[in-house]
Amino acid sequence: MYRYDEFDHGFVKARTEEFRDQVERRVAGQLNEDQFRPLRLMNGLYLQLHAYMLRVAIPYGTLSATQMRRLAHIARTYDRGYGHFTTRQNIQFNWPRLKDVPAILDELAGVEMHAIQTSGNCIRNVTTDAFAGAAADEVIDPRPVAEIIRQWSSVHPEFTYLPRKFKIAITGAPNDRAAVKFHDIGLMASANAQGEIGWAVHVGGGMGRTPMIGKLINGFVPHADLLAYLESILRVYNRYGRRDNKYKARVKILVHEEGLDAIRDQVEAEFEAARGGVLTLPQTELDRIAAYFVPPEFAEVATEFDLEVERRRDPAFARFVENNSFPHRQPGYASVTVSLKPVGGAPGDASAEQMDVLADLAKKYSFGELRVSHEQNIVLPHVAISDLRDLHAGLVAAGLATGNIGSITDMIACPGLDYCALANARSIPVAQELSRRFADPARQKQIGPLKIKISGCINACGHHHVGHIGILGVEKKGTELYQITIGGDATEQASIGTILGPGLSAEQVPGAVETLVDTYLLARASPEESFIAAHRRLGDAPFKEALYGSR
Amino acid sequence: MALADPLGAGLPQSDRLRAFGIVALNGMFDEMDANGVLRQAVELLPGDIAIVSSFGADSAVILHMVASIDPGLPVLFLETGKHFAETLDYVETLSRHLGLTNVRALRPDPEDVRRFDPNGDLWETDPDSCCHIRKTEPLDLALAGFGGWVTGRKRFQTADRGVLPHFELTSDDRIKVNPLAYWNDSDIAAYRKAHDLPEHPLYAEGFRSIGCASCTSVVAEGEDARSGRWRGRNKTECGIHFDVNARIARPLPVAEATVFSNGRFIADPWRDWAEGDAADGVRYTHVPLPVFLEHRETFLKNPHPLGLLVAPGDAIESVAGDLGRFASVAIAFPAFTDGRGYSTARLVTERYGFVGEVRAVGDVLIDQIRLMRRCGITAFVVAHEPTRAALADGRLGDLPVYLQPVGRDEVPVGSRRFLRRAGPSA
Repeated sequence: MYRYDEFDHGFVKARTEEFRDQVERRVAGQLNEDQFRPLRLMNGLYLQLHAYMLRVAIPYGTLSATQMRRLAHIARTYDRGYGHFTTRQNIQFNWPRLKDVPAILDELAGVEMHAIQTSGNCIRNVTTDAFAGAAADEVIDPRPVAEIIRQWSSVHPEFTYLPRKFKIAITGAPNDRAAVKFHDIGLMASANAQGEIGWAVHVGGGMGRTPMIGKLINGFVPHADLLAYLESILRVYNRYGRRDNKYKARVKILVHEEGLDAIRDQVEAEFEAARGGVLTLPQTELDRIAAYFVPPEFAEVATEFDLEVERRRDPAFARFVENNSFPHRQPGYASVTVSLKPVGGAPGDASAEQMDVLADLAKKYSFGELRVSHEQNIVLPHVAISDLRDLHAGLVAAGLATGNIGSITDMIACPGLDYCALANARSIPVAQELSRRFADPARQKQIGPLKIKISGCINACGHHHVGHIGILGVEKKGTELYQITIGGDATEQASIGTILGPGLSAEQVPGAVETLVDTYLLARASPEESFIAAHRRLGDAPFKEALYGSR
Repeated sequence: MALADPLGAGLPQSDRLRAFGIVALNGMFDEMDANGVLRQAVELLPGDIAIVSSFGADSAVILHMVASIDPGLPVLFLETGKHFAETLDYVETLSRHLGLTNVRALRPDPEDVRRFDPNGDLWETDPDSCCHIRKTEPLDLALAGFGGWVTGRKRFQTADRGVLPHFELTSDDRIKVNPLAYWNDSDIAAYRKAHDLPEHPLYAEGFRSIGCASCTSVVAEGEDARSGRWRGRNKTECGIHFDVNARIARPLPVAEATVFSNGRFIADPWRDWAEGDAADGVRYTHVPLPVFLEHRETFLKNPHPLGLLVAPGDAIESVAGDLGRFASVAIAFPAFTDGRGYSTARLVTERYGFVGEVRAVGDVLIDQIRLMRRCGITAFVVAHEPTRAALADGRLGDLPVYLQPVGRDEVPVGSRRFLRRAGPSA
C-alpha cells in the first residue's frame, strides 16, 4: 500500500488546518453559506436532509486494517455508530456535527486519510478494480498509476472550479470491474504494436439524467504521457464545458454536443503543446510508486479445495466460497468479497463493530489490507484458501457472511429519500424488500448472476442505468413511483438499460422484479445463460410484454 | 517592491495624472509611517513629484526624509520676496546640511508684481491677492510640470487641517501627499532631536510657523503654531492648499480600485474600458478582448500603455501573438465558481510567455487566491472585505507544499521528487 511520507503528511495537515480555519470563519459568520459551500464541498462535507454528511476518500478503494479501525472509531465517536460505503469506493458518515469535522479530519490525517475533493466541482477520488493487484486476469496493477493520478489531481489549481464534478476510473484488467466507461475519464490497460502496456482513454461516460457510454478518444497513451494527456482533456473541459446549466455541465455533454472528433482535435492540440514537458512521468518515479504496491510475501499453501465435500459439510460455507471468492493470481490464494448486503439491510452500511471485525480479519488473513468495491462491498484481497474456513467463521460471528456476491440480492442502492435532499423516492426500503423476497439461497443460485441497481432520483447514484434490472425512483403528483429499466451493463460490454414502461408503486416493484426474473428463467437457453446474456439475445420485448402485457 | 513603471514615466505628465484620476491610496497607509508614505509617493510618481517647502520652523523634518530617499528630488521654495532674511539664510544652510541638490526658488511674475503690488503693501490691503500673485500663481506654474507634490502639512496645525489624509486627489488630477499628516508637535521635536537637525534661526525667538515676514508674528505660549500667521485677519491658509471649493481636497475613497500586488495593496493606475473610449487614444485601460480584436489595427498603433481584459469565454489564442503589446492582462472571474480563468492564466503565462502583470478581477476570495497565484496571477483587485483584511495581514491562504507542477517559478522542494513543488513564497 502507498504510505505517506513527510511531504504527504505536511500536505494533508496544512489542508486540515485550512479547513479548520474555514469552519471557524463559518461559525463566526465571516463566511456565508454561499461562500462556505464550495469550501466545505471540497473537503467532502455535504449538507443533507437532516444533517451534514462527511465523505471520506478511500483512494482507489484501498484501506489498511489500521485505517479501517480508525473509521470504526470515528463512526463510534462522532457519528451514530456506523458508516456507509459508497459506489465510488468512499465512506460516508451521515451525522457529524460541523464543529467536530476538523477533529474528524485530524483523526483521518493520523492514518493518512482525508476528505479532500470527495465532492465539489473538482477531480474526485480515483477509483479502480477492487481486485487490483490480486486478480488473476490482470494485465497490469493499476494502483501505482492511480496513486500518481491522485497526487497530480490533489488541489490542482487549474481544475478546482470545473464546470461540474470529474471522475476518473482505471482498470488494469480486460474484464472491467470499475465501470470505467461510465466515468468522465475511463482508463483501460492496453498494448501497442510493440507489446508495451499503456492506457486506452475513454472520455465522456457517465450516468445521471443523461447516461452516456464513454468514447475511446485515444487507444494507447504511454505511462510517461498519461498525466499530460489527462491535463489536456481537463483543460479542454474546463474551458469549453457548459456552465450555463448544471445538468449539461459534465464532460459527457461536451463530447456529445461537440462530437468526439472535435474534442479529440482540441485535446490532441493541447497534448502536442504539453507532451514531453514537466508532466512527463519518469520511469524512476513510476518504479518508486510501484514499490509501494509490491505483492505481499505469499506463503506456499495448499491450493486444492474440494467444494463438493464442503457443500455437503456446510452448504452456507460452500455458497460463500462459490459466490464471494474471486480467482487470485497467486496459486493457493483468493480474493474474498464481504457482502454489505445482508437480507433486509441497507446496502453499503457497516457498523463500527463490523468495521473493527473486518480490520481484525484483514490483519489475520489478508496481510492487513482491505478494499472497498464500487458495488459497496468490502474485499479482502489476499486470503490463503486454507484460511477461508476460519475467515468465514469470523464473518459469521459478525453477521457479515452473506454469500450473495453477484447474485440478485447483491444490489446497489443510493441512500434515497431517507437521507438525501435530492431524492424523489426511497431506495433503501425497496432494496430491503427485494432482498427479503429473494432471500432464499437456492433461488439466488438458480437465478445466477443478476445485478439490480436502485436510484432514488434521476441523478443515478444507485447506477440504475447499468443494472441488469434498474429501478429509478421518480415523483409524480406527490407519490413515489419507480421506473423499471432492463439491459444495463457496467462492464467492458457497457450498455444502458431501457425503460420498460410506466412507473410502478413501491408495493408493485418486488412483484415486477419477480416477473422479469421468471420471464428470464423460462426463456433462457440454458442454466449457463445469464440474465444479461439472455436479454442481449432476446431484447426487451418478452420482458416488456410480461410486465405490461401486449397492447 | 517598486512597481515596474506603473504610470509610464515616459508619458506626458497629464497622462499620468489622468491615470491617477482613479487612484485610491488612503486607508492602506493609516498604519504606515511618514517615511513609508513618502517612499510610496516617490515610487508611484518617479521623476514626477516635487516637494514644496517653506523652509519654515518644521520643514527640516520632511526635507531630511527627502534627502534620505533621494537628495536630487526637486524641492520648490516660494521665494515671495517678503521672507525674513533668516529664512533665506536657512534655505542655504539647511540645503547644504542635508545635501539637497535640487532646490528651486519660485519667484512671482515681475509683471504681476508691477501690476498688482507696485508699492509692496498689497499684504496689508488684500493679503489673499498678495498670496495669490506671490505664492499660488508661481506654484501653479511650477507644478504644471509635476503629477504630484509633497507638503509638510499636519492635522494638528489648524481645524481645517484636522481631516488631512496622507493622499489627496486635487481637482486638477494631481496627487498631493502629506507624509506628516498624523504627526504632532512632539513627533516633530523628537525627530528633529534624533537626527540633530538645524533649527530655523527664528524658532528660538518664538516663531512657530514661519511665512513671509510681513504676515508672520511670534506665537505666545499655548497658542496654535499657525496663529502667528496673518494674525488679526480671518485667514489661515495662503491659498496654495485650497482646492477649487476653497477647502482641503477631498480624501480619496478607500475601498475602490485598489490592487493587491507584491504582498500589499497599492494604487491602481489602471481603469476599465468605457463606452466612447477611443482605440487610438486610451491609456492605462484594460481593453476587452473582443473590442481589441475589432479595432486591432488601431490599438496596435496606440502608443500608450494598454491592458487586456479577458472574460471567461474569450479565446485567448486569438491574441496570443499580440500579448507582448500589453502591460497588464486582467482575467475576469465574474463568479468564483467559474474556473475558466485559471486555464486562461496558465496559457497566458506558461504557454505564451507573458511576463507583465496578470491580475484577477471580479469575485475573488481568499480561498481562491492561492490557486490563482499558482496559475500565474500576480495581482488581485479585491472587493470582499474579509479577503482584503486577510491579504492586508499577509494571510494568503497558501498551502506549504503542492503535488503537481504548475506555473513557471515553483521551486522543487526536499526530495525533488516528481511533481512536488514548494508553495509560492509570500
